[in-house]
Parts: sequence; structure tokens; C-alpha cells
Amino acid sequence: MSERWRWQYWPLKTKLLLLTVSISTLGILLVCTSLVVVENRTSEEQLESELHVIADILAEQSAAALLFEDSQQINTIISSLNQINTIEQVCVYNVAGDLMSALNGTGYEPCPSLDAEPEVGFVGDYYRLLEPVMLDGDIVGQFYLMSRLEVLREHIWTFIVISFSVGIGILGLLIWVASRLQRLISEPIVELSNAADRISHEHDYSIRVPVYGKDELGRLGSAFNEMIGTIQDQNQKILQSKDDLERTVAERTSELSLANRELEAFSFSVSHDLRQPLRAIEGFGQALEEDCREQLNDVGLDYLARIRAATVRMGSLIDGMLVLSRVSRQAMEVERVDLSTMLAEIVEELQDTVDTLPSEVTIQPDMQVVGDERMLRIAFQNLLENAWKYTSKNEKRAIDVSACEELNSITIALKDNGVGFDMKYVDKLFVAFNRLHTPAQFSGTGLGLATVDRVVRRHFGRVFAESPIDSGACFYLEFPRPDRG
Amino acid sequence: MAKGDCSILVVEDNPDDQILTMRALRKASSQSPIILQEDGQAALEFLFGTESSKRSPQVDTLGVILLDLKLPKVSGLEVLRRIRSTPQTDWLPVVMMTSSDEPSELREAYRLGANSFVTKQIDYSRFSEQMCLLARYWLTVNQVPMVGSSRSF
Repeated sequence: MSERWRWQYWPLKTKLLLLTVSISTLGILLVCTSLVVVENRTSEEQLESELHVIADILAEQSAAALLFEDSQQINTIISSLNQINTIEQVCVYNVAGDLMSALNGTGYEPCPSLDAEPEVGFVGDYYRLLEPVMLDGDIVGQFYLMSRLEVLREHIWTFIVISFSVGIGILGLLIWVASRLQRLISEPIVELSNAADRISHEHDYSIRVPVYGKDELGRLGSAFNEMIGTIQDQNQKILQSKDDLERTVAERTSELSLANRELEAFSFSVSHDLRQPLRAIEGFGQALEEDCREQLNDVGLDYLARIRAATVRMGSLIDGMLVLSRVSRQAMEVERVDLSTMLAEIVEELQDTVDTLPSEVTIQPDMQVVGDERMLRIAFQNLLENAWKYTSKNEKRAIDVSACEELNSITIALKDNGVGFDMKYVDKLFVAFNRLHTPAQFSGTGLGLATVDRVVRRHFGRVFAESPIDSGACFYLEFPRPDRG
Repeated sequence: MAKGDCSILVVEDNPDDQILTMRALRKASSQSPIILQEDGQAALEFLFGTESSKRSPQVDTLGVILLDLKLPKVSGLEVLRRIRSTPQTDWLPVVMMTSSDEPSELREAYRLGANSFVTKQIDYSRFSEQMCLLARYWLTVNQVPMVGSSRSF
């Protein structure tokens, strides 16, 4: 069965109309049927009483003749019944039950014998009656009458036709009235339903339904309108705050991009313009040392050496600041990075260049993180250079790098056996230009760990460190793992 | 052209850098002529000539150009672009020299056809070493087209 023919898919109008039509039809059918039954019954009773009256009169007239068994006389009496077309048969019996006289209509049929009690009343198409003929309180014979019912039947049929015609007429009228009146109920509901449909499709919360009266439908309409009004207000507020938010974001973005452009310009300027004078100081210092050595005494040469050393230190500060600013602003290129290989490469470079101290470096194989390869290299280069630097006063250097994988993160631990640091100042460890050692103890810019922190932050991770007394330092870099999260 | 006869063109605007570069280059290769141009405009006039003057005949003897990236008037990258845009000069080896090591500038220089990119070191010993390596490589190891073939365009 196609879906739209199912009851639940019918429109409300049709359902209401169908309800009215079925109830009206049932009512009219019941009324017509009872009218017909009553009319039939009344007509039958009337016919019965008429026939009894006729029979009584004739019985009375024929009583004397019966007493004397005068058939001639009885024939004369009953022949008057020929005038009545519907009477089919009249039989008169004497007291012994013998037929004295009979009057037969068109459909000839012998008079019934009284030995077997004949059927009386409405049987088939006939009404039969049998009544005693009395004279002075004694029964002198029996009177039998059989009447056709065609007139009665015709009357009833006419009645049925008329009453059902009127019934159908009334039904038509009722359907017409119902089809008008059902709108009172169905129209507000249909409008409500259409409005709900439009709102859900067009998201136009300014739509309202007309409210009819104060009944349940009226209250439903008012409640619906109120509800849509609330949604409209809330929607307005949401849109408003979205606009505000977008404007704020746009403002912030433009401020930020301006700041970024300024930072970039500043970095370029630092790159070019601050380095150039330094190079001149350093270059002319060396030229002075080489070309005019004879004119300078030892104090002068010492000052010159200090000027040149300070210039080189300033140069590394500028380099450090530029790296820090670059890892802050450069775009991330995220990929899977084989950390173990990268660390091995950095260690190899350090072993080749820095010092000849016996070093034992353990790197856990197959450590993988997701991130920007260049930035991660800068961070681990800084960490390993630190480890190298702060273990340089040991007899033997031991560095261990391992990874600890958890459900949503991977933590890289980098442990050395160097001088470590005072845990009291752990907060200052990752702040730019903060150093926990004097330049005489260990050289440095104070920018390395700030750069590490910046790199890890840009990977949405965190870095922390600990230094148990007399057992070196341990740095932990925790990276989230979005692919497992 | 016999090795060692080639000259070096230095395009450098800063007087300090001019002196320091010339000093380092002289120490590195004493016999090679060094030509100095003080800005991009002057370098272009030297290489291509102007409406009133022809280009310098010294261009034919060039073995390498040491071109500073940051120059007044016409920038180093613009000079590089002009050098690469005409067959007269597009074969010339160009080494970009700069104080900075900005990745964006590095990429742009190579995109425009630089042969080399050198960040000038603050430590003068290392700077001298750089100049020495450059002069030795470009003037003695590297080969440039002969005069009378591609140079006669």
C-alpha cells in the first residue's frame, strides 16, 4: 500500500470530514430503519384491525344462516367481499368444521381443512384470520379470511424510498455543513503546521499564526507565537553576539597581524641594521689588533680583546633573539618527525665540534612526534647544547633521552649528569634573558630555554624541568597526540 | 680566460663594510682586481651603461659579483633580477651577501637566480675566512664562459 493512502498520512480535513460523514450516515440509517419498522408495524396493525372488523360484521350476519346451514344465504353475504380487491379467499365452516361456503380470488386455492389448525396472522404475502361465529354465546361455525398484502407492501416500499431519499438529502446537507464547519478546527491546526514547516525550513522567526478565539486551539496558537517570539529574541541575541564576536575577532586579528608585521619588520631591522655596526666594531678591532699591534701596550690589547669578545656576545644575543622571534611567528609545517634520528644527528654534530670529553649518549630508538621539523630541531639543539655545556666540567658525560607514551600525549625526557640547577629558581628557567649561572661559570644568552618553551607551546605541549641535588638536570617535553586523542 | 685574471665586483653601500670587505679580499687574493660599486644604481650603470655612456669593458673580465642584499635606491634583489633578465649578464656568478639570515630573503634570492647566499659573520676572523673561501672558489675553482663566445652578445 502506498504510504499516502495510510490513515496517518491523511490530511486533518479529510479525517474530520470522514468522522462527520460516518457518524451522520449511521444516525440517518438508524432513524430511517426505525421509521420504516414503526410504519410497517402500524400499517400491519391497521390492516389487521380493519380485517377483523370486516370479519366480525360478516360473521354476525352469517350466524343465523350457519345455524340453519343455509349456504345460499352465506354465499350472498360473503359475495359482498368481492368488492374488496385485496381479499383472496373467504371460507365459512359450520360447527362441525365442514365447509359451508367459499369465495375465491384470482389465485385459486382450496379452503384449508380445520382438522389441522390452519396458520393465521402475517404469513408470506398473505394475512390469514380464523374466528368463531357466535350466536347467543354459542359457537355456530368458523369464519376464515385470507387477504393479500401487496397494498401494504407497496406502501412500505414507497415509505422506504421516500425516507431514504430524505435521509440521503439530509446526509448531503450535513456533509456540506460539516465541510464548512470542520474548517473551524482544522484551519488553525493546518495554519500552525504550515507555519512550523516554514519556520523550520526558512528559519524565518518573524512568522506568526493568527489566533482564533480562546479555546484550546486559540491557546495553542498563542503559546506557539510566544514560543517563536522567544526563539526570535534568542536568535537575535545569538546573531548579535556572533556579530560582536566576529568584529572582535577581526579587530584582534588585524591588531595581531599589524603587531606581527611590526615584529617582522623589527626582526629584519635587527638582522640587518644591528648586526652591521657590530661587524664593523669587531672587524676594525681585529684590523687594529693586526695592523697597529706595535702602537698598543698590553692593557690596550686586553681592552681590545674585551671589546671584541663583548661584540661577539652581543652578536649571539641578537642571533638568539632572532631565533626566538622566528619560532614565534613562522608558520607551522606539521608532519611526522623521527625524533631519534634527529637527536642522533645533533649529537654527532656536537661530538664533532665542541669538546673531546668521553660522552655516553643513550637515545631511545624510534621516538616519533608530530610537529614542525625545523622548530623541533631548534628546540632539541638548544637542549642538547645545554646538556653538553653543563656537563663539560665532568670527567665523563652521560645523557639519556627517552620517551614515555600515554593515551593522549608523549613525553620526551632528556636527562644529563651535569651541574643541574637550583630548584628554587625553576620558575625563571624558561623566561627569556634569565640565567641561573654567571658568564664566568657557563656562557649563554638566556634565550635557549625560552626558545624551547616557545617551540613546545606552539605544539600545544608544555615543558618542565627538575634537578635533584647532585644528579644533573632532567627536562620533560610533553606533546599532545591528536591522532590518538 | 686564464685563471687568476678574473676580477671581482663588490656592490656594497656601507663604508665600514667596504673597507672590511676589501681588506679581507685583498688578503685572500692579492693579484685579482677588485671593482667597487657603492649602490645598486651605480652597479647597474657599470654593468649595462647609461644613455650617455657605454657599459664598462671591465664587465667582460668579471669572475664573480659579491652583491649586498640591502642597498639604497635599487635593492640587491632588484639588481640580481636585472642581471638575470638579459643574455649579456645572465651567466654572471652572483653571490648575495647579507647581515641577516631571514629564510624569506634566502628563498627569494635563490628564486631570482643567485648562485650563492652568504650571511656575513660578526666575528671578523670568520668573515675573513668566508671572503677567502669565496675568492678562492669563484676565481680559481669555478669556470666562467670565455670572452668572444657568450660574452659577445
